[in-house]
Amino acid sequence: MNASAKATVKRNKRTFGEWLKSRDGQKVLVMLAFLIIPLVLLMVFTYIPFAEMVKFSFYNMKYVGARKFVGWKNYIKVFSRKDCFGALKLSLYYMGGSVIQLSLALYLATILSFKVKGGDLFKGFMFFPFLINGIAIGFIFKFFYTRGFVFDTVLQWCGFQLDNLPYWLKDRSINNISLVGTSVWRYFGQNMVLFIGAIMSVDNELYEAAMLDGANKFQQFKYIIMPSIKTIFVLNVILSISGSLSAFEPPYVITDGANGTGTYFVVMHEIAHTQQKVGLASAMAVVLLLIIFVVTILQKLFFKYVFKDGTE
Amino acid sequence: MKLKKVMAICLASAMTFSLAACGGAAAAPAPAAEESAADEAEETEAEETVAEDTEASDEAEEGGIPSYTQLDLSQYTDTEATIKFLHHKTDRAEDGTMDKMVAAFNNEFPNIKVEMEAVTDYAEDSLLRLSTGDWGDIMFIPAVDKVDLPEFFMPFDTLDNLSAELNFVDNWEYEGNCYGIPYMANAQGVLYNKAVFEEAGITDLPTTPTEFLEDLKLIKEKTDAIPLYTNYAAGWTMGAWDAYIGIVSNGDDTFMQQKFAHTAEPFKDPGDDTGIYNLYRILYDAVAQGLIEDDYTTTDWESCKGMLNRGEIGTMVLGSWAYAQMQEAGDTPENVGYMPFPMTVGGKQYVNAGGDYNYCINVNASDENKLASLIFVKWMVEKSEWCYNEGGYTVVKDGKNPEMYAAFDGCEVLSDQPAKAGEETMLNDINAESELSFNAGGNDKVQRIVEAAATGSESLDDIYAEWTQKWNDAQEELEISVDY
Repeated sequence: MNASAKATVKRNKRTFGEWLKSRDGQKVLVMLAFLIIPLVLLMVFTYIPFAEMVKFSFYNMKYVGARKFVGWKNYIKVFSRKDCFGALKLSLYYMGGSVIQLSLALYLATILSFKVKGGDLFKGFMFFPFLINGIAIGFIFKFFYTRGFVFDTVLQWCGFQLDNLPYWLKDRSINNISLVGTSVWRYFGQNMVLFIGAIMSVDNELYEAAMLDGANKFQQFKYIIMPSIKTIFVLNVILSISGSLSAFEPPYVITDGANGTGTYFVVMHEIAHTQQKVGLASAMAVVLLLIIFVVTILQKLFFKYVFKDGTE
Repeated sequence: MKLKKVMAICLASAMTFSLAACGGAAAAPAPAAEESAADEAEETEAEETVAEDTEASDEAEEGGIPSYTQLDLSQYTDTEATIKFLHHKTDRAEDGTMDKMVAAFNNEFPNIKVEMEAVTDYAEDSLLRLSTGDWGDIMFIPAVDKVDLPEFFMPFDTLDNLSAELNFVDNWEYEGNCYGIPYMANAQGVLYNKAVFEEAGITDLPTTPTEFLEDLKLIKEKTDAIPLYTNYAAGWTMGAWDAYIGIVSNGDDTFMQQKFAHTAEPFKDPGDDTGIYNLYRILYDAVAQGLIEDDYTTTDWESCKGMLNRGEIGTMVLGSWAYAQMQEAGDTPENVGYMPFPMTVGGKQYVNAGGDYNYCINVNASDENKLASLIFVKWMVEKSEWCYNEGGYTVVKDGKNPEMYAAFDGCEVLSDQPAKAGEETMLNDINAESELSFNAGGNDKVQRIVEAAATGSESLDDIYAEWTQKWNDAQEELEISVDY
């Protein structure tokens, strides 16, 4: 922006003051004035801290006290330590959860976008969990899963015996699934509302034309709805997958990352704040960022392949 | 049009400035850092004056102000002064306890006027007040470095003289002088429910881990109570087990701060039911034998207080500070009991106790105020019964202890010796490097013991082997000599 401004100054051979008062100058000034605020905000609160973090990842340091440059040692540790990289395996649970979450959201969105009795009420109910604070949800589910409390009681009404029910958070084979359940419960309503929004934008004439051609509901879904909501679908998938890689709130609040539920983020938090190994935690953050980059690009390529005959 | 432009520029500049304000707030700690740097610069000057000051106060002591142990309260009842006391007990200021104590003090010393100020965010605010010098005559010592003590505070007495009369006075000792006296102290033991113990037929309190486990089994067999409540989910309640390392587990008050970091195999089984090995063995075995709550992952700290009070829980491993909370949480406070940790070293049970906040006196106060402050502190420590009323362990040697410590008779009460000069940060460093974080938030390592015992995934020896490995790696990394 500045360079072009200077170029303008030279070409017209006006003094800077004159230029500033001219229409061109005013235009640039206004643009700069309005751009500078978001840019400065972005720099100060995103890029500069991020650059600092990348720098930290090469040091052996605490929050206070001396720093020692250690080169790539922190990165080597991220890959060699069992707890750092092993924690990423838990993300598979959350990815599995996001598949269920998206299918559920898509299914309900499709149903609710046709005329359904009390549809708005259902939409409201299903969207409601997204409005609750994540920490509060954590506390709700802590009691929900407590032995003999809400969940067990409801299941007992359905005829299950308490003795046959597992310990939802204690049993290591299912405790991660319990945690994923809370995040599905929280986010599927939001996904659903996004899908409904996209489906609503489909022209009604298309359905009418399809019906005249004798297409059933499933065919309508496959050939009308799905291609129309492609963009929002891809967006939701990408957000859910990167969300699963950085899952934090459910394990942090409900189990404190204990008993084999410590996701990558929880482990990172522990290393950064309890052990005060800021350098190692920063390296973990950088590695996670790279992983998310790679996964996102792979997804992009995948969807490009899948929707090859789409609207491109 | 012009108006619009002006507005736009104003808006833009306002937003930029508000941004600058954000930046300013973020940079706020920097001036403080500069200040401390400036302080350091001043220190060199200050040190000289301090040297003079200490000489001066030595003289003053000979002339006017007696030391703590020399001071005979009965001879100074007509002392006149107005002193100011800066403290953190906002709750006690609100419920009138502080005023009552001062009123009682004024019965004996009618001419000493005590002004008090309670500070909510004491840990931080007191440091700021201390650096300005404008804080009054008496305060509780905040987190300062020991080297700075003579610059700010008047020594009460030599460590030798003082420790003959009071407990826990070595926390703020510097070059043989004591600069602080705790207003109360906490002890580390085990909470239990007396009614549950009675129902289970336990008449003598357990004194070894093996006995303790036997008793837990009795509780399980004969009562409906949970023998040992782990409080696993809260996390920090598990880290509380670390407090028994050292004095309680081996009777050595130099272990925690001076030897632990230098020990090659701190987790080795000494074979006589003591040591760190058997400390966590209690937890491991209790979990493995099903002597804890059914679902440990969903324990709740707030509700466990009432459960212990009502007799739904047999025992909990927590410091003495928790006792009062347990008593207040239900209708049967008389059933809440406190016992020394069940571990006997060389025929004796040891208790780890430590001072809470310490009184100190402004070194720059006038001589009259110093004397009056000393009188006030001595009265508070020895005659106010504040420590007793707070349920604290006695600061005065052989003083009266609250009922809850009855079981502590015959136990040796010690407090951790400070680290050696030059090694003050060593324990913190090795804790962080090894990620075991003993007494420093290392909750997950204790939680892991519970998980391992419950699922049978690891034996206790496996866990200790890994801890030892981490400890040794950290020693190597930090170049800490292995001496024990």
